[in-house]
Amino acid sequence: MTGREYPWKRRPGWWLRNRRYLGFQLREAGGVVCALYGLVLLNMLIQLREGESAYTAFLDLLRTPPVLYLNLVLFALVVWHALTWFMLIGKAQPIQFTRQPLPWKVVFGVNVLLWLGVSGAVVYLIFGGI
Amino acid sequence: MVESEVVFRVKRYRPESGLNYIKDHVDPTLTFRWSCRMGICGSCGADVNGQPRLTCGTYIRDVHKGAVTVEPLSNFPILKDLVVDFDDFLNKLASVTPYIVRKDWGDLTKEYVQYPEDVEAYRQQSLCINCMLCYAACPVFGSSPEFVGPAASALALRYNRDTRDQGADARLARLNTKTGIWECTFVGECSVVCPKDVDPAAAIQTLKFLATMRHMRRLLMPGASSR
Repeated sequence: MTGREYPWKRRPGWWLRNRRYLGFQLREAGGVVCALYGLVLLNMLIQLREGESAYTAFLDLLRTPPVLYLNLVLFALVVWHALTWFMLIGKAQPIQFTRQPLPWKVVFGVNVLLWLGVSGAVVYLIFGGI
Repeated sequence: MVESEVVFRVKRYRPESGLNYIKDHVDPTLTFRWSCRMGICGSCGADVNGQPRLTCGTYIRDVHKGAVTVEPLSNFPILKDLVVDFDDFLNKLASVTPYIVRKDWGDLTKEYVQYPEDVEAYRQQSLCINCMLCYAACPVFGSSPEFVGPAASALALRYNRDTRDQGADARLARLNTKTGIWECTFVGECSVVCPKDVDPAAAIQTLKFLATMRHMRRLLMPGASSR
């Protein structure tokens, strides 16, 4: 590198240059959201330990419209995070049961089905009266 | 002698090179790299309307929606106009020893036999033409210039998969560093812009797996040798 070179500088808003960059940034944001939501659940446990009134107050806070709307946005980001990673699994490490690796769309579909199955089982365990 | 008139209707197509036309007829000071004009030398990469492309393989009709914006490849220092400095890439490429490494070449009159499936194992990565479009498309390289990057990683995998090679361990040691494959967050844009379908994003993820296996092998079986 010589002193006469013109240094390259990344432009602000580079991630809006195409939809794949935007999708990537949203995937990364979804990862941060996952971590933050873990803190919310942790706080829920802390409130539970504090006693019934603290726990009820926390649940009431979660039921307020701004928090519900926020949860909706966070949920969308977490779903995007999960779906985009499922899309990448088959591309990252081609799964080979046959002579040719399985197409990534098949791997994606299997992962989504497994995800829905496990989520359904969890919902059933919580609300199904077991 | 009877004269007759024969009418020829020839459909003509003259794909003019836009940049060469500008240099020849509009502004001879315009500077850019080009050589083969058939998408194999990898010299003429540039950002066309914000997308890294080989300009020789880009039809004006495909990018002509108003003005066509041609810029030097992103993420590289600029030498002049569309010419960027590749020294950093060449150093990174050299660091992964992109050639067959042998501890002992043995009898050089003997053939190192490879079967079609041996070649198929590395054929995809061997198609890399070092055009560096993948580096221009990689936002990780843009923010962390020390990252070894997609093409060098893909070529490392190409030689690691070669049955004649014995340098895999050293390459994985180089790539299993902070500036190596672990910088990659799998944006995947490198594979989208690659004109030869090398799929460097997948190559890096494979290398992550191989580097992890190497690390675990060294941890659990310190005495075991590796290729």
